[in-house]
Amino acid sequence: MDGKIVGLPAGYRDFIFSDAESRRRIENEFASVFSSRGFREVIPSAVEYLDLYARGNQGVRERAMRFLDRDDNLLALRADFTPAVARIVSAHFREMPPPIRVWYSGPVFRKTDRHRGQYQEFSQIGAELIGGDPPAADGEVLDVALQCLSRSGFPDACVHVNHAGIFRGLVNSLGLKQSDLSEVRSAIDRKDMRALGVRLEELGVNGSVRAQVNTLSHTVGDSRALAAAASSIDNQESREAIASLESLALRLPRWRDRITFDLTEIDEMEYYTGVMFTFLSPAHSVEVGRGGRYDSLMREFGVDLPAVGFSFSMDRLGECE
Amino acid sequence: MKNRVLIALPKGRLYETGTELLGKAGIIIPPAADGSRKLVFPDAGGRYEFVPLKPIDIPVYVESGTIDAGIVGSDVLRELEADVYEPVDLGIGICRMVLAAPSGTALPRGGSLRVATKYPRTTERFFRGKQLHVHIVKLDGSVEIASLLGLADAIVDLVETGRTLRENGMHIVEDVARVSAKLIVNRTAMKMKSEDVRHLITQLDTVVYENPGQQN
Repeated sequence: MDGKIVGLPAGYRDFIFSDAESRRRIENEFASVFSSRGFREVIPSAVEYLDLYARGNQGVRERAMRFLDRDDNLLALRADFTPAVARIVSAHFREMPPPIRVWYSGPVFRKTDRHRGQYQEFSQIGAELIGGDPPAADGEVLDVALQCLSRSGFPDACVHVNHAGIFRGLVNSLGLKQSDLSEVRSAIDRKDMRALGVRLEELGVNGSVRAQVNTLSHTVGDSRALAAAASSIDNQESREAIASLESLALRLPRWRDRITFDLTEIDEMEYYTGVMFTFLSPAHSVEVGRGGRYDSLMREFGVDLPAVGFSFSMDRLGECE
Repeated sequence: MKNRVLIALPKGRLYETGTELLGKAGIIIPPAADGSRKLVFPDAGGRYEFVPLKPIDIPVYVESGTIDAGIVGSDVLRELEADVYEPVDLGIGICRMVLAAPSGTALPRGGSLRVATKYPRTTERFFRGKQLHVHIVKLDGSVEIASLLGLADAIVDLVETGRTLRENGMHIVEDVARVSAKLIVNRTAMKMKSEDVRHLITQLDTVVYENPGQQN
């Protein structure tokens, strides 16, 4: 028979019986946690205007699967949930008093590099809390995320938390111009600390600030590690950001053993404005999800509300089961 | 095995210098007994496990997390645009990636420069940065010959001394990149196997920067 009838295009797959069932089971556990915590489901359209992805994470726009409709509008298969949620809130919840709690689950599509063994369709499940202010809303969302993981068969799942303001404060104190800044960001992102040190020195950044960059790049641990980092940082914005991480952890005593402060990772896309989460499954040594606060994204859609959320890879969760 | 840090070693020109450097860092790789060796083997201390691979495959393994860390040339790393940490420039395997052309011929300006290379993405980025349009011919074998036989006007390739180029009647037009071997680390491994990965980084960093000039 013709391979194009019985085969699948590269980058796609089916989930059959037990694979499908384990995904369904995880989704049901998440759904019951979401509904018990007051989050309501949205199922965004699978097709959007490509321009929806012009805001926020630029990598998403580049990788979106695009096509033309009959009027030659440039459309895309859903490539990310968060912009769709922002669009929905902007269109339907403008008059509703915040906060708004939503969750979603479904496939997203992104072009991947050829022959890297990556799928072009993958499933995400996540939640967003829109219109809630930092300490309380961040704590609520992190609590919900960890509860979801715990209930769906990942009792040892843990989270690394960071805050975009820590690095932002330090970088603002460097006084670099934009082009140098992106070079510095990318060196930090690669963790090439020697090259970074040399480059910062060339750019005339003083020794004390270079030492602080170095400290951040090594800070991973409990509240003592965080306190040690705090004492070496001298700008106000970074200190406040570190303090807000401390207070976030204090709000969640039941998850104390699951929270690691990790200031090493930077948000190269500058998508997040506050806390950042990376969810990990130690038993499988994999990252299963991410999240954080992105207070400027909603404004791009004409709704001036802060937002915090998270998103898990259903594919990773399903494989770990 | 899943919990020991698994490190990819590049087969070929970087293997000897790479394992020597690891040895200086206190991570001793025992020589293969009578030439036969398992696909995956531990170091003498048993803290790490190693798997020799073709260099071009290493970034994909490390990016996916199948392998936690690896030693690989920056030529291969840039070509594959792998999303990994690069915490240590090992200072070994140093050479230049250059644009070269047959001596005595002028490169066509604008229009239709044809360039043969094993590094199509790097070459494309290089010319895009200069806002020049090129046609790239991707080859796997010797690229000098492509230029000499007329398949391409120029080549982008690695040179160590430039002797091979001269012997083939070619000259270096311009540097494309400095190449050296890097330690690369998977992003999740840095978090999940933090202690062993950091030990590896610190040891190698110390060896590289406290004994400058001993490599090569």
